Amino acid sequence: MPVIVMASPKGGVGKSTCAVLLASEFARMKAEVTVLDCDPNKSLTRWASHGLPVGVTLMSEIGRSEIVPTIRSADGDGKIVIVDLEGVASQLVSRAISQADLVIVPMQPTALDAEIGSEALALVREEEEALGRSIRHAVVLTKTSAAVKSRVQKELEEQLRGAGIDVIEPSLVARAAFSELFAYGGDLTAMMNDPEMMTGGKVDKALINAQAFAEAVYERLK
Amino acid sequence: MSGSNRLAGLKARPKDTTVEEVRRVDEVGEARGFLDRTPRKKPGRKPSPRTYQLHPKIFPEVGEAIAAEAERLGVTQGQLVEKMWDLYKSSHID
Repeated sequence: MPVIVMASPKGGVGKSTCAVLLASEFARMKAEVTVLDCDPNKSLTRWASHGLPVGVTLMSEIGRSEIVPTIRSADGDGKIVIVDLEGVASQLVSRAISQADLVIVPMQPTALDAEIGSEALALVREEEEALGRSIRHAVVLTKTSAAVKSRVQKELEEQLRGAGIDVIEPSLVARAAFSELFAYGGDLTAMMNDPEMMTGGKVDKALINAQAFAEAVYERLK
Repeated sequence: MSGSNRLAGLKARPKDTTVEEVRRVDEVGEARGFLDRTPRKKPGRKPSPRTYQLHPKIFPEVGEAIAAEAERLGVTQGQLVEKMWDLYKSSHID
């Protein structure tokens, strides 16, 4: 089953959020999902400490030496492996990319994110060349506006597509529910059904966004 | 997305993971600034977890001599080092 790697040498772009949303949605589709938390900030471990959705297993504290054997051991029949990486340019990142069936590069629609994120895209292409096999990769824009598509976002999408880079639609909108998943654990469906959870945002719209994103990723894994 | 397990049909592409391949991946990464950033361990000997004492590094023959003398006197090496420290203090510090 596929290995999905979240990669960007920039921190705070939404790698962990993408990982959580995909893990939750794929688990809801009855897949067995193993999430590898390779980020020293331990965002996914914090999320898991409040409760994991059924079907999701977390492995944490994985370093450069362990990443390749851990991915290989987690990979198996009926299992999806999702790797959340640290937001730095490290060998841990390059090794994880070499094991990926899909590399997702989250990027906020800003010039800085695009510039730093493009390093990850360039690395994927160079690894493809070095290994003599293709590594599917795509950009997802994150923390976008729910109301309007900004001029910067439109321009960035145009530039990425013009450079032959796959851009996942829909983007992930800035939603309070996404960030609050890390405070409550579990998934958006549980959050929506629990009146005790005060998200201060529109969970239903966040869930629709997450499902459409997971569907777009699924299409790329077929 | 439906609740049925549509994902069961997904397949992973075969990936050889030889030592040579990992080395090539490391080289490609390093050329682009993706370096080994594993935190380095603090150098030096760690304090004893029992006594929190620092263990000085000495030549093996000195260590053996101290151990033999402590045994002859029927004291621990720590007690012998304390006696040595007292002598040192009285001749150099007092």
